[in-house]
Amino acid sequence: MLSSKLLKSLTAGVLVVGLGVTLAYAAADDQIKARQTEMKANGKAMGALAAIMKGEAPYDAAVVKASLDAMAAADAAAGEAKAWDASSMEGATIETWAKPEIWAEGSQVGAKYQAWVDARTALAATTDEAGFKAAFPALGASCGGCHEMYRKPKG
Amino acid sequence: MVLGLLAFWLVSAPRPLPASAVPAHTANAANGQLLYNAGGCKSCHKPNPDVAGLDSSLPSGGAPFKTPIGTLYPPNLTPDIETGIGAWSDIEFVNAVQRGISKDSQHLIPAFPYTSYARMPVADVLDIRAYLMSLPPVASPKRDAGVPLAFILRRGLGLWKWISLDTTAWMPDTTQSEGWNRGSYLVNGPGHCGECHTPRNLFMASDTSRFLMGGPHPEGVGKVPSLHKLIESKRYKDAADLVLAFQNGESFGYEHMSAGGMGQVQSNLAKLPQGDLEAIAYYLTSFK
Ligand code: HEC
Ligand code: HEC
Ligand code: HEC
Repeated sequence: MLSSKLLKSLTAGVLVVGLGVTLAYAAADDQIKARQTEMKANGKAMGALAAIMKGEAPYDAAVVKASLDAMAAADAAAGEAKAWDASSMEGATIETWAKPEIWAEGSQVGAKYQAWVDARTALAATTDEAGFKAAFPALGASCGGCHEMYRKPKG
Repeated sequence: MVLGLLAFWLVSAPRPLPASAVPAHTANAANGQLLYNAGGCKSCHKPNPDVAGLDSSLPSGGAPFKTPIGTLYPPNLTPDIETGIGAWSDIEFVNAVQRGISKDSQHLIPAFPYTSYARMPVADVLDIRAYLMSLPPVASPKRDAGVPLAFILRRGLGLWKWISLDTTAWMPDTTQSEGWNRGSYLVNGPGHCGECHTPRNLFMASDTSRFLMGGPHPEGVGKVPSLHKLIESKRYKDAADLVLAFQNGESFGYEHMSAGGMGQVQSNLAKLPQGDLEAIAYYLTSFK
């Protein structure tokens, strides 16, 4: 028969391990949520910019700036939340559309990320409609360049 | 048992088109180039940009395709005599593209979408060949064989083809406009859109009752969207918006044009004439 002391320490051990697992779950889930929140903000900002590109909305330097600021803020918040750490894929309980190749050997995700940052900088430097329309496609292509390789299609 | 084997052998035998299926035809390489773009041949048959010394704008042999049953190499489609299609006859080319039968009479794996190309008129396939023959020949390097596909696996594909390969040619719907029919042809024939956008049934054949309704990605990662109700679902404002999406993809902020192979499809579609893209958009947005 198990001594009651052993039983107690076993129970405690199970509890601690259980809690640890729960915490890992919660951490990964929060990281995924942060990543998706970042991307939803990108999508929203992109909508406003694409409307100008397609002539559905007038060119407005203030809208361009606000949209790029929103992307920069989303980027920073995601960094703080460790949204792009490999740990986000460990023990998650919610669905993610990020491909594990992001964290695999030989991943080019760093270059894809840098292309996005550079395209934002280039667009922010434009001062008129012609400049905006010349620089915008590279920003959109930088989103696509990463999605093509590292995002699972959501249907 | 013996009967079973005999039946397997008969049913799984390659069924090539006879040489007489090749019509008298003056090849039109410009039409061939258009169909090559619509068919996305380059996406699979071009080398990765990191392969040293090979021009990735020419279809000199594609990146390896890893499948559970072995590694496949999309072969060289340039007119090189040794390693390309330079020495192929018309009927050999037609049988590869429309019946999935190689020059040496083996079944080809349907990762190569001949199941859709089978619907094209033979003359259009000859035009693609004429376009390919106009490209500079490239000698492709020898590649390590990877896991060779067992003979019996290739032969076994014949069984699948017997059940699943529908070789009925595409036919226009005479109650519809010319534009609708052009769109229908490009989508169902060379465009092979259904290979991803139509879900598959138990036999891994396209489930025609759910035509272009989306489902699990055939390569197993993620989900392919439905092409029905593209406007009603507010993903596109109108058919003109969809044309703009085909021409520019995510570089104009269209969000569902990149992942799961669609980025390659979009960059090929962007090379089609405006009128053909309008026809595709008109056809797709006619689904209610
Ligand atoms: C470095 C790679 C990368 C870049 C750059 C990138 N994305 Fe993403 N995006 C992803 C990944 C990965 C996901 C899937 C996230 C997940 O589900 O965990 C995603 C998801 C999304 C989603 C879906 C969010 C949801 O959960 O519904 C949108 C919208 C989106 N991205 C828009 C954009 C836009 C717009 C840009 C450019 C301004 C952009 N992304 C740039 C990698 C990237
Ligand atoms: C989705 C990828 C894909 C697309 C698109 C594609 N192919 Fe292929 N193709 C392949 C693969 C993979 C093979 C090898 C199949 C095998 O080994 O069983 C192949 C084989 C072939 C062969 C047979 C060569 C031989 O040695 O027997 C020909 C010819 C060919 N493709 C032509 C074309 C043409 C023309 C197009 C466009 C109209 C095209 N392919 C589009 C993937 C593709
Ligand atoms: C290799 C598989 C594949 C092929 C072939 C393919 N598609 Fe797609 N398609 C996809 C995937 C995956 C997506 C979703 C992409 C994403 O979310 O970034 C998609 C998205 C789309 C969308 C956007 C749908 C939406 O809801 O916004 C349209 C329109 C489309 N495809 C049309 C076509 C047409 C037309 C063809 C044929 C010329 C075609 N596709 C061929 C895989 C494919």
